[in-house]
Amino acid sequence: MTFVRRNSRKTWDKRKPRGRRGQEQSTRKAGHHEANERSTRVVPQSREVKRLLEGIGTPPRKPFQPDEFQVEALAALEFEDVLVTAPTGSGKTWIAREEIRRLLESGRRAWYTSPLKALTNSKYQEFIDEFGAERVGILTGDRKENSDAPLIVGTTEIYRNQLFDSLRGGSEVSADLVVLDEAHYLADEDRGHVWEEAIILTPPRIRLLLLSATIGNAHEFAAWLEEVRGVRCGVIGGPTKRPVPLRAAVLLPDKRLLPLLNDAGKLNPEIEILAADNADRRRLRK
Amino acid sequence: MKLRMPEMPSATLLGALDGYNLLPAIVFLPTRRRCDQAASEAALARRDPNESRRDARREFMREFVEQNPEVRGHRHWDTIIRGGVASHHAGHIPAWKLVIEKLMSAGLLDAIFATATVAAGVDFPARTVVLTGADARTGNGWRPLTASELQQMTGRAGRRGRDNVGFVVAAPGLHQDPQRIAQLLKAPPDSLVSQFRATYTTLLNLLDAYGSFASVREIAERSFAYRDFAHQFAQLERSREETEHKINQALKEAACEIPMSVVLGLERLLGIRARLQEAKPQTRAEVFHRWLNEVVKPGRVVGVGRAGRRLVMVTEKRDGNVRGFREDGSSASFAQERIGRVYSPVYRLREDDIERGFEEIRKRGKELTLVEPRLRDADAEETDALMIVDDAIENLLPPNIPDKQRCTEIVWELHTTAEDYERVTRRIAALREEVWLPFEKRAKVLAIFGYLDYEAEKVTDRGRWLADLHIDRPLLVGEALESGLFNSLEPKQVAGIMAALTADEDRDYGELELDDDVVSSLSRFEDTGFKVSAEEWNHGLDPAPELNFSAAGAAVRWASGAEWSQVVRETRAEEGDLFRMFSRTGEALLQIAGLHRTHPQAAQMASAVAEMVLREPIR
Repeated sequence: MTFVRRNSRKTWDKRKPRGRRGQEQSTRKAGHHEANERSTRVVPQSREVKRLLEGIGTPPRKPFQPDEFQVEALAALEFEDVLVTAPTGSGKTWIAREEIRRLLESGRRAWYTSPLKALTNSKYQEFIDEFGAERVGILTGDRKENSDAPLIVGTTEIYRNQLFDSLRGGSEVSADLVVLDEAHYLADEDRGHVWEEAIILTPPRIRLLLLSATIGNAHEFAAWLEEVRGVRCGVIGGPTKRPVPLRAAVLLPDKRLLPLLNDAGKLNPEIEILAADNADRRRLRK
Repeated sequence: MKLRMPEMPSATLLGALDGYNLLPAIVFLPTRRRCDQAASEAALARRDPNESRRDARREFMREFVEQNPEVRGHRHWDTIIRGGVASHHAGHIPAWKLVIEKLMSAGLLDAIFATATVAAGVDFPARTVVLTGADARTGNGWRPLTASELQQMTGRAGRRGRDNVGFVVAAPGLHQDPQRIAQLLKAPPDSLVSQFRATYTTLLNLLDAYGSFASVREIAERSFAYRDFAHQFAQLERSREETEHKINQALKEAACEIPMSVVLGLERLLGIRARLQEAKPQTRAEVFHRWLNEVVKPGRVVGVGRAGRRLVMVTEKRDGNVRGFREDGSSASFAQERIGRVYSPVYRLREDDIERGFEEIRKRGKELTLVEPRLRDADAEETDALMIVDDAIENLLPPNIPDKQRCTEIVWELHTTAEDYERVTRRIAALREEVWLPFEKRAKVLAIFGYLDYEAEKVTDRGRWLADLHIDRPLLVGEALESGLFNSLEPKQVAGIMAALTADEDRDYGELELDDDVVSSLSRFEDTGFKVSAEEWNHGLDPAPELNFSAAGAAVRWASGAEWSQVVRETRAEEGDLFRMFSRTGEALLQIAGLHRTHPQAAQMASAVAEMVLREPIR
């Protein structure tokens, strides 16, 4: 399998006409340069803060390499439904896009659902840039374009409505893959039931790819999917580590910066003392 | 452990972060207004000294405007160009949010001030995420952030390929609580919880597709909400089968050729027997008490005390206490059990009737006294019933089976097992009921309005087009269509009605005055709504949200052809709110426009109005 580097870029970069790329890159460089310049004027720091901020900055550019979980998810999709749970920005969309590419290249069809119209519109643009306008259609509550295209982008409600129609004797939903983006919307108070209906009513012959934020009961959810659809469902957790490590700090009114946690991962004792002080002071005031 | 600290002015905050090289940052603030204020203040106080970056932003936005003219002249334009900061929340129109996301992504902004809702969905990371508190704002106060919310926010910290490290910074604020943030950072993510529910649309579509309530029920039972049900069902069914097997096995071993129903019959009869025994009065006092409960009522004269000498006209009885008047007109209040005698006539509670009553009782009291029952008489009913049950138990076994004695013993031995069996059966029925009931209620309401035939379990012709109406509160709109309401309206009235229906119930879209004709069309629509709601209420369904008149006002103005900027100015509503409301109104209108075969006139009208509503910048 080969992976194409240019896919790693995000939607809004793509909306620009291709001719202006050079210019866009130069703008980005300006921002980049600025960040480096700023890093030279830093306030005097304690050892603790130095450690907290160690390594801050921009990494050297590396060629795009898919993460292990992304490759794993793609491989699993050949045989079974897949539930991917990973935080935003960790590269879930890449999985969907590569799988869609694979299908389109072999003349098959896909449906991509998202909960919000704004997301649907931006995905539509992204896929047009990726696969060409003639291969992508969009269906939302107020937009219907190229609806016979092999790849349809739309809101989950519209997809569910198509399932209803086909059950009631209308045309079949002609897709080999359905991607449910933001699948954790299933827990949305108002609209969540639409996701469940979509999952229950999607014919088992259609492969399901669910992209979800991290959830506590992924395996329970997948077990339900298997039961209700009679199709195996793999669970792919996101990268075990965050793509970019996270550090936590507390900023005080005097602009001091303190690490939130100590080396043992417990609350920094200094902060505990501050909070106790704070409570005392409030009590005294009373 | 709260750590209340004065909130830093936004420019000071950004300065402090800059000192540690922690920009660009996304600063989360509790309200939209605070985001806007923070961005403006920061822009005023800190002019971005880097001229080339300012130029780059200006250039970027000029290009963007070519494709998205609706952001031209936005009131935050200068804030962004000059200060390199922006606010981002649901009060802005989508195009404006998009340009900010793009600017951030291109590395041209130092900070975005955003509400927590922004954290969901869109993806624009920064080096640092700043939390000004550990609480989230609700409609009426504050509540603690959840682990998932915090995770959504910290998910923005650290740009892939552009940052070695991402930071989450707890900044000074009145609702700050570092300890809680530390806990939340370590908390496991929330579990996915099902929100499966019955809706008219789902019911109509599934019933029309499958043709029976049983199939709809079966689909509901497969929902994630009832995933345990499948297991529970299986488990219960298994345990029911096991007990059934146990009972049959025992009967077979004893060579008793009687069906299992006999064993279950005994269990039921014993259950009835126990209940009758319980109901049967055991003492004379109990009998008397029950009798008083029955006969003491307003309008009757009673004698209080053991001998029942002091007469009282009863006016009220509650919780075993009695109130009334004495003969001298003074009022009396006492426990019912203090009554010694009750007289039979019932008088009207008017002054002269009361007086006449007392007189009559004084004269002919003896013959008017109600006779209290004796213990033997009182429990006669129960005793009779018990005898019948005992007879039935006696004759439970068929008379001509061999070795009747042995079989009787077996049946008695099995009765606790039979009890288990019955309990499991009842539990299964209750589970099924719980899943189905919300659908059943809706089916009954739909049947009343003729959208489905309850007996035949079929969707009617009417129901078929209603099933296609993918809209909030389809039944209300369906009834309005059927009553011809839409045929007699002007386009702007249709826009007003649909906006009032689809808008968020308590969101304010300004106080634009409504013309009389719009008000009267809305009130006709409300009448229909009330008819529907009343039926729904009768069937135990929650009342629907109220119509939003303020939304109607804004939509009427918009559908009458006003400029976007004009509507924004006049309503003083937030652009993002107006945008979403109009967009949803337009979608709802398009749904009605789809009914051109059954309601051509209304469909044509809806289609024309949709065009008016879904014009730039709404699309």
